[in-house]
Amino acid sequence: MELLYLMINPKHTRLVRSAFALSLGVSLLAFVGCTKKSDLDPTNTFYTSSIAKIKGLDPAFADDMYSGYEVTRIYEGLLQYKYLKRPYELEPCLAEAMPTISKDGKTYTFKLKKGVVFQDDKAFKATNGKGREVTAEDFVYSFKRLADPKLNSPMWWLFDGKIEGLNEWHDASAKAGKSDYAANISGLKAVDASTLQIKLKSRSYQFVYALAMPATTVVAKEVVEEYGAEFLNHPVGTGAFKLAEYNPSAKIVYVKSPSFRKEFYPSEGDAEDQAKGLLADAGKQLPLVDKVVMTVHVESQPQWLNFMQGNLDLAPIPKDNFAQAIDPKTKGLTEEMKKKNIQLFIEPSLDITHTSFNMTDPVVGKNKYLRQAISTAINTQEEIDLFYNGRAVSAQGPIPPGLAGYDPATKNPYKEYNLEKAKELLKKAGYPDGKGLAPLEYLSLADTTARQMTEYFQKAMTAIGIQVKVQTFSWPEFQQSLKNKKGQMWSFAWGADYPDAENFLQLFYSKNSSPGPNDANYDNPEFDKLYEKSLTMNDSPARTELYKKMAAIVIEDTPWAFGVHRLTYGLTHPWLKNYKPHEFNHGMAKYYRIDTNLRK
Amino acid sequence: MFTFLVRRIIGTIPIVFGVALVVFVLFNIVGGDPALMMVGKHATAQQIADIRREYGLDLPLPIQFLHYLRDIATFDFGRSYATRQKISDMIMNGVGPSLSLTLPAFMLTTVVSVLLGLVVSYFRGKIIDRVAVILCVIGMSISVLAYILFGQYYLAYDLRLFPISGYDYSLTGRFEYLALPILLWLFLSMGSEVRFFRTAILEETSQDYVRTARAKGVSEPRVFLKHVLKNSMVPIVTNVVLEIPLLVLGSFLFENFFGIPGLGSITIDALHNSDLPVIKTMAFVISLLLIFGNIMTDLIYALVDPRVKLS
Repeated sequence: MELLYLMINPKHTRLVRSAFALSLGVSLLAFVGCTKKSDLDPTNTFYTSSIAKIKGLDPAFADDMYSGYEVTRIYEGLLQYKYLKRPYELEPCLAEAMPTISKDGKTYTFKLKKGVVFQDDKAFKATNGKGREVTAEDFVYSFKRLADPKLNSPMWWLFDGKIEGLNEWHDASAKAGKSDYAANISGLKAVDASTLQIKLKSRSYQFVYALAMPATTVVAKEVVEEYGAEFLNHPVGTGAFKLAEYNPSAKIVYVKSPSFRKEFYPSEGDAEDQAKGLLADAGKQLPLVDKVVMTVHVESQPQWLNFMQGNLDLAPIPKDNFAQAIDPKTKGLTEEMKKKNIQLFIEPSLDITHTSFNMTDPVVGKNKYLRQAISTAINTQEEIDLFYNGRAVSAQGPIPPGLAGYDPATKNPYKEYNLEKAKELLKKAGYPDGKGLAPLEYLSLADTTARQMTEYFQKAMTAIGIQVKVQTFSWPEFQQSLKNKKGQMWSFAWGADYPDAENFLQLFYSKNSSPGPNDANYDNPEFDKLYEKSLTMNDSPARTELYKKMAAIVIEDTPWAFGVHRLTYGLTHPWLKNYKPHEFNHGMAKYYRIDTNLRK
Repeated sequence: MFTFLVRRIIGTIPIVFGVALVVFVLFNIVGGDPALMMVGKHATAQQIADIRREYGLDLPLPIQFLHYLRDIATFDFGRSYATRQKISDMIMNGVGPSLSLTLPAFMLTTVVSVLLGLVVSYFRGKIIDRVAVILCVIGMSISVLAYILFGQYYLAYDLRLFPISGYDYSLTGRFEYLALPILLWLFLSMGSEVRFFRTAILEETSQDYVRTARAKGVSEPRVFLKHVLKNSMVPIVTNVVLEIPLLVLGSFLFENFFGIPGLGSITIDALHNSDLPVIKTMAFVISLLLIFGNIMTDLIYALVDPRVKLS
C-alpha cells in the first residue's frame, strides 16, 4: 500500500513512475530470462507428434490412425508390412513364416516365433513379474476380445462373419451377459503352444491384412485381468518399445524394450532406396533409437514451429505454412528449407474424397443423369488448388493409385468439368436449366474448411441451375443423418484399412449399406455379384480385371461424385535417417535412426 | 451466516436438478447418438443395438434420466464413451495443469489491472488516462487467437525467449512452460479489466463522500487509497470472485496451442464425440462451480461492505 501511495503522490510522480517502469521491465526480463530456450536434444531419441489425442493403448480400440501408431510401438501381431517394399507387402512379425493355407483356402496355420516374451509387468505373478513367452493361446484370447460383446470393440468388423464359430461365441456371450473365454471355437485353435490355426467360413484373400492391423496385436490375459478397465493405460506387449511416461492427451514417452526379440533392419530394397541411403543400416539390430517421444499437437502452428525449431524430427506441412515450405514455381522446397537441409517426402495417400448421393432418395437416387450432371459441373482442379494447395490428384474412379485395379488410363466422362455437358445431362435428367428441380439438400459439417468447400459446391451447382440447400451439422449429428439414410448429398473421405482395392469397392456393396460403410446405400446386383466373386479370388490379373469392371460400373452409375486422392507432404530434418513414408505406419519407429552429431 | 450457508447449499439441489434436466433434454434432441459414435465406420445394426443395450441407451428416457440423477447423487460419473478413461481421473488429472495456468494468470491480471485502474483513474482526463483507454480498446479489439499466434511465433519461435509449447509437472517446469501463456493472458485480459476497474473506481470518485473528504483537505492519494478503493470493492469483488471457480475449467485455446493437458477442451471434445457421460458430468461440475462462485461473492460482499448483512 505504501508503494502505491508513493506512486500516485504528485510530489514523487516522476521518480516513482521511472522506478515503476524500471521495476516492471526488470521483472519482465527476469520472468523471461528464467525461462529456458529450446535446445536440441543430443540423445538418440526420435521426436514425433500427433494431431489427435490418443484414446488409450488397448489394441481392441485402436480404430483410428493415431491410436494405431501408438499401440504398435508396444504391441505386435502375427504379420507386419515390409518397411521398404512397394507396393505394400506383408511379412511375418511374431509368426515364424507366412501362414500355410489349406487347399480350400479356408484354413490358415501359423507357426509362432520361439522365445518372444511380453515385457515385464507385475501382472505376471507366476514368473514374479518377468514377462513370459507368447503362445498361440494368447492370440486366441486376443482375437476373442475383439468379438467380446461386453467389450464392444469397434474393430469387431475385422472378424465379424469370417471365422468359423466366432459369431456363435459372440452371440452366446451377448445372450448370457458374460463371455466364456475358456469355450472352444472351432475356427480359432491353439494346436500347441506355438501353432495357431484359423478356419474361415469362406475363402478370403483379404483376411491376412487383418492380421497386420493394430487391433489384432497380441495381449496377455494376465495383464488384461490385472488392470481390468484400466488396461488401456497399462500396455504390455512384445514390441520394440515400452512405456516410460504416459499422458494420452499430451505426451507419451517410450524407451527401448530390453526384452525385445532379435529383429534386424531389412536388407532388401530397390535402387531408389539404395540411393537414398535407406539400406545403410541393413542387418543392424532393431530398434535403432533408444527412445521415442510423442507429443500431442492438436493445433498445427505449435507442431510446425516445433518442427522448424528442431524439436520434432518430422512433420506434415500445414495448409497455412505451405508457401513457407514449398516453392510454388518449382514445387520443391523453398530456399529457407534447403538451407536447413530439410528433406521433402511426397507420398500418394491410399484414400479418396467424394460427394455421396443418397441412392435411397427418390430424387438423386433414382436419376443417374442428375448425378452425372452434378459430377460434371464440379471443377476438381480448382478445388485442388483452392483447398489442397495442389496436394491432390483428381479421382477418376473409386480405386486410388498404387492399388491393383487402378487404371491410369481411365478417364471418367463425368469428371471433365464441362458446364455445357453438365447442362445437357441435366436436361436428360428432366430438369432443363434446373427447372422443376427442388433445392437439393446437402449435409455439411460445421468446421471452417467444410463450410468453405460446401459454399464452393453450392456455387458450382448454381452455374448449371441447381439450387443447393445446406444443412450444417456437428459431427455426431452428421453421423446420425448418414447412418439413418437421411439427406440427399454430403461429402466424405475414406482411407485404406489395407492395401487392396476391395477395401474401397466394399463401399458400394449393398450389404454394407448404412449404418455400414456404404453410406450412399448403393445397391446394384451386378456389382454385388462381381464383388462377391472377387472375394474368392487371390491377387491375380483376373481379379484385377474384375476390380476394373466394378470400378467402371460405379463410374457410370455415379453413386459418388468422385473427388480427389490426396498426396501426403512430409518434412524431415537431416538427422532423421531411414525414414520412408508408409501408409500403414505401424511400429515403424524401430527402423528410424538419429544422427546425433547432426542434431547437436 | 450459518443459516445463510445452509440455505444456499440446500438451494443448490433444485438448481442442479434443473441443469440436469435441461442437459438431458437438450442432449436427446440435438446431441447425436452415442452408439453411432462408438461403433466406428464399419457399423452394423446388430452392433449398434449391442452398444445401446450395454450402455443402457435403449432404456426409456425417464429411466435414463433417473440413472443420471443417481450418478450425480453418488458422484459416480463412470467412464467416457469416447476415450473409455475414468471421468473422475480425467478431471483430477486436468485440474492441476489448468489451475497452474489460469490461477497465476488470473491473479497477475487482477493485481496489475486494479493497480493500473487506480493509476489511470487518478490521472483521469490527462494524457496517461487517454493513452491507457486507447490501449485498452486496442487490446480488447484483438482476438485471443491473434495474441496466441503472435506470441507463440515471435516470442517463442523467433526470439526463442520461451519454449513453443509443452508442460512439465515439476515446479520449475511449470514456470518454464507456462510463462508465455500467462504473459499473453495478462496482456489480452488487461484491456477489458483495466477499463472495468477504471469505471468502477471513477464512479466512486463522483460520490458525495469523496467531495466531502476533498473539502476537508484530505490529500488526493489518501482519498483514493483509503476511501475510493475500499468503496469500489463491491463491483470489483463481483467481477473477480465469480470468475475464480471457473478457473479450474482451464482455457480451451491456450491449452490446445501450448500443449497444456488441462480441462480446457474436455467439454468441447465431449460434445464433438456425443460423449454423454462426460457432458453430464461437466454440466454438473460447471453448475456447482457457478453456485459456489455466487455463494463466495455473497460472503465477500459482507466482508467488504458492512451494510450487507447475511441473513
